Amino acid sequence: MEAARIDPRLPEGAPAPAPVLQLRGVERRYGAFRPALGALDLALGRGEFLVVQGPGGCGKSVLLRLMAGLERPSAGSVHIAGEDLAALRPRARAHMRRSLGYLPPGAGLLLQRSVLHNVALAPWVAGNEREEGLRRARAALALVGIDPDRQGDLPVGQLPAGERQCVAVARAIANRPALLLLDDLIAPLDTARADRVLNVLSQFADAGIAIVATQRADAGAAAPLPAPWPARARALRLSDGVPVLPAVDSGPAA
Amino acid sequence: MSASPLNVAPARAGALQLALRLTLGRPITLVLFAVCAALCLATLLLGALAWSRLQPLQAPAWMHAQALVLASGAAGENDLSATGAGLRQVPLVVAAEFIGRDAALSQLAQRPGLAGLGLRELRPNPLPDAFVVDFAPGSSADAVEAAVAQLRRCKGVESVQYQPEPYRRAQALSAALRPVALLVGAALLAGALLGAALAARLRAPPDPQELRLLILLGAEPAVVCRPYAYAGGLAMLVAAALAWWLARAVLAQLDAPLAQLAHDYALHWSDQALTPAGGALFCGALALLGALLAALRARSALAAALRDSEY
Repeated sequence: MEAARIDPRLPEGAPAPAPVLQLRGVERRYGAFRPALGALDLALGRGEFLVVQGPGGCGKSVLLRLMAGLERPSAGSVHIAGEDLAALRPRARAHMRRSLGYLPPGAGLLLQRSVLHNVALAPWVAGNEREEGLRRARAALALVGIDPDRQGDLPVGQLPAGERQCVAVARAIANRPALLLLDDLIAPLDTARADRVLNVLSQFADAGIAIVATQRADAGAAAPLPAPWPARARALRLSDGVPVLPAVDSGPAA
Repeated sequence: MSASPLNVAPARAGALQLALRLTLGRPITLVLFAVCAALCLATLLLGALAWSRLQPLQAPAWMHAQALVLASGAAGENDLSATGAGLRQVPLVVAAEFIGRDAALSQLAQRPGLAGLGLRELRPNPLPDAFVVDFAPGSSADAVEAAVAQLRRCKGVESVQYQPEPYRRAQALSAALRPVALLVGAALLAGALLGAALAARLRAPPDPQELRLLILLGAEPAVVCRPYAYAGGLAMLVAAALAWWLARAVLAQLDAPLAQLAHDYALHWSDQALTPAGGALFCGALALLGALLAALRARSALAAALRDSEY
């Protein structure tokens, strides 16, 4: 199948924007227990690819939910494109959410609905017409290796786990967001699909899109990211909600 | 597989399209809802209409206790006025209508059956001046009889004619009918509410998973709820129109017998018709109510779906 391409590049000569994502002293506590996420400072510029690693329960998903504005930090602040999420009104927060791509844990798909419907949901919510939404969905599906003509009308529930994950990734990228937050990205994918998806994401990062992905990894000494992660990806290892490696500074990747 | 309904559309026209799809996409549900809701609404409409036609609600004459007070034969005009004033002072008396002997004679003379009886022969033993005394509606029979005894002691009163038994029977009948009427009314209301609840349950609630996902993708709650609100308004509009048609059909059959019944029992009965303007108002108001209830339901489902999320 010939993969369609989406060119998400920003206009030439655009002024360098503020960090796409910035966390300042972010902490998340649930009740009186130890913090799920310790005080964390992080800045992510355009085109940066950050992989948050750690064992189960170390705070990876909490971190992504905080970044997506789905949880409120107990302390500190989360800024997207310079805007403090906690200070945004609900309408502005909804608008902000439309401009990022979020892959929730478990993919968050409507299993009874068709593949195309699930992916087109994102552009439709963003205000695109029905046909435009479907067109974007088809393009995004083709990018991640799902044939929209053959599989587009299938209920998502009929697909194997790896393909469902691809559908969810397609939905996350369908709106050409400025920031991609991908929770537990590659665990459900086989090697070939993981390569393909990460290759696509690498192209997105080349075009200036900031990406944060999480990966479950056993606790241990910090190590460079192995394949299939692209070379440009940097790691942030969490242990008990505290970073083991220093967070990535702002600024686009070389 | 055809494209499933997508329950989000930023534009109002798109939301209306989705609402139409939500409403017409399940015709059996729509018909069941419309019939149940229409039966409830028609019952309430007919009840309200009957109530308004009986306004101002007055107890009929036969439900009042009345007494005929005969004044002393030799009383002059001033004495009669004083007697009338004295009668009105008695507790429970709400009216004392004076009927003079001449007026009584002329009324008798106008009756066809009495025309040839030579009423002038009554001159030597003339009809007395009289007062028709009305007691307050709803007074107990004992209290009325005590008031009658007091009337007898009033100055200028020759005698008081009062038959306690009919009023006692009417009181007993009224006391027996009131709980029955309340019971029937309560049963009708409960039936209407039950029907409304049943009708509301027939409307499929929004899918919580889909609502959660829509919010996750950045849909505004108002935009998410809008198609459901429109669909609720449309369904209620259909039910209201059906209820209006049912009420008109029932009234067409029952209007004349009900008016006759009211006349026979001396009840006030106004002749109000179900006008097209009233129908439009009724349907419009209920469509708005349906939209409001559906919006509240969608909001509630949305809140439940997002309960895990702080935002």
